[in-house]
Amino acid sequence: MPGVTISRWTMSYFAAALICLAAGLASTASGFGYPSVPVEAPESLVIIHLIAIGWLGLLFAGSLLQFVPVLASRQLQSPHLALPTLLLTIGGLVLLLTGFLGLADILPFLAWTLPFGGVVLTFAFASLCWMVIGTLVTNRPLSLPAKFVALGCAPLIGVAVMGLLFTLPLSGLTDNSYLVRLVLEAAPAHAYLGLVGWMTVTAVGVSYRLLTMFLLSPEKVRSTSRAAGWLMVAALAAVLYDIVFAGAGTGRKWPLDVAVAIGGTAILLYAIDVYSIFKERKRKSVELNVLSSLVAVAMLVISFILFAVSIAIGNVADMVIPIAYLFTFGWLTGLGLGQLYKIVAFMTWLEFYGPVLGRTPVPRVQDLVNERRASVWFLLYFGATSIATIALIHDVPDVFRWVTIAQLMAVCALAFEFIQARRLALVPASTKLPTGNAISRLFLPSFNGRS
Amino acid sequence: MPQEFKELDVRSILQNGGQPFEEIMRAVGALQPGEGLRLFAPFEPQPLFRVMDSKGFDHDVVELDNGDFEVRFVPRTEEEVAISENAVSPELWAEPSVDLDLSDLDPPEPMQRILSEAEALTSGEVIFAVLSREPVFLFPELTRRGHQWVGNFDRDGSAYRIMIRIGPGATNA
Repeated sequence: MPGVTISRWTMSYFAAALICLAAGLASTASGFGYPSVPVEAPESLVIIHLIAIGWLGLLFAGSLLQFVPVLASRQLQSPHLALPTLLLTIGGLVLLLTGFLGLADILPFLAWTLPFGGVVLTFAFASLCWMVIGTLVTNRPLSLPAKFVALGCAPLIGVAVMGLLFTLPLSGLTDNSYLVRLVLEAAPAHAYLGLVGWMTVTAVGVSYRLLTMFLLSPEKVRSTSRAAGWLMVAALAAVLYDIVFAGAGTGRKWPLDVAVAIGGTAILLYAIDVYSIFKERKRKSVELNVLSSLVAVAMLVISFILFAVSIAIGNVADMVIPIAYLFTFGWLTGLGLGQLYKIVAFMTWLEFYGPVLGRTPVPRVQDLVNERRASVWFLLYFGATSIATIALIHDVPDVFRWVTIAQLMAVCALAFEFIQARRLALVPASTKLPTGNAISRLFLPSFNGRS
Repeated sequence: MPQEFKELDVRSILQNGGQPFEEIMRAVGALQPGEGLRLFAPFEPQPLFRVMDSKGFDHDVVELDNGDFEVRFVPRTEEEVAISENAVSPELWAEPSVDLDLSDLDPPEPMQRILSEAEALTSGEVIFAVLSREPVFLFPELTRRGHQWVGNFDRDGSAYRIMIRIGPGATNA
């Protein structure tokens, strides 16, 4: 049966994700973790996983639950798994962070917390993949965006299983030489699987649909898009090779470099596609969510250019962290915040006004947000992120921490804007809903049977 | 969804005096459901058109600048129509009393326009609308209000067409 309704738990995913982002930024601003300690120190791992799983993981999972049905034009497969998946992700993350804090001697160390957290997270992501793949396969042949989203599921499972394997030697539960070498050598591949393999591939796929939709641009299957997909497959194969041989102790540096180079080429092709989608648009005015997505794509391209330049100059070791930072906060987080700005307003509009459309005056989706004010926050966010990247390149940790405070302010301000949208605080008086229409549903679904 | 094509260039096979028929049939056999075939040949392959027609493919021919031909074989959609669970005999519905071209509107405006139009009509009247995308959020709302609908993409997937039959005393939930 075609048709899509509101995903009940997506707002809860978003709320939890934003809390993790704010917590991660606040911790960094307070001097906890990198750059005060090395990036592989347990304190840094706390922040990294708070951002990667707590913020980006929950953001992507929540968005997929709403948009995979749109891509497939079918209801979500096993929607009852949405809440358990959310709880498992949060629970697994808390266990993982407790374990890292134990390794850092901040909490008492219990050897089982890390592997247990790894198991719980693997279950959570497997459950997410079940819903995503199960929904996509009901509408074959898969559209191009759907193929990207399906491809992203493989590295998602990969990154979870790999993380689980890491936890065993880290907790001292095994001294198996293969696993020990894996932890020592394959952490960059682990990050690649998560940030590029799952999130970037998924974001690229979904944006092919969303950008054409928001810009009223024709949705075509371009040869550049297909090539980008196949290059990502090749890049992931190179990463797999890297992981297998890193553990065996016969690892070389080149497979991951090759993966970055191929992935970077895919990204350039994607950027060309975004440019064509933008050029062929029928809608002349461009909304803030599209603008911020374009800035995010620019930051994605810049992070690849920085990588290419640093290989040419030969200072990759110094540049890896600033580049990974720009990739995570400029590209993934920038894109995520930009899309949240639109998705929250749209879902709220549909949830509250969908049932009365055509029967009473309703606001436009844009009326739920204040674009002028929000654009100031986006400017602050992207400006701070750019300066933070430069501060990392020039190794000035104090500046980095100060601009992290600016980033945190921008994120909190945007979270406030999302709450305003959820509460329908900005809609014109003539379109206010009659009181009693459950405006209090900030981030929990309605339990009265509808929505 | 946009039409996807596999490509096959038989110009070199013909140049070398070979017979491309088997190669073409192999490519056709390997097509995914819904996928088309884009064939490049030095002449219009007339005999092939009949064969492909019997296999359920329509064709478009484009002459290229260098005098060669590009032929696009597109599978005839076996009227892949989406239909609401409550829809009964759409072929017996009345002629549409409202005809809407909403293909230039931003989402979710098409949904809003259709639901407004639906409120103004009486039971049994029919709306025909063309949209640029499949209105996935509209479908459940129509059904919930007791309206029936059928819809599908046009052949090249660039527009979505929907017919909506207004339900008796639309349910106010």
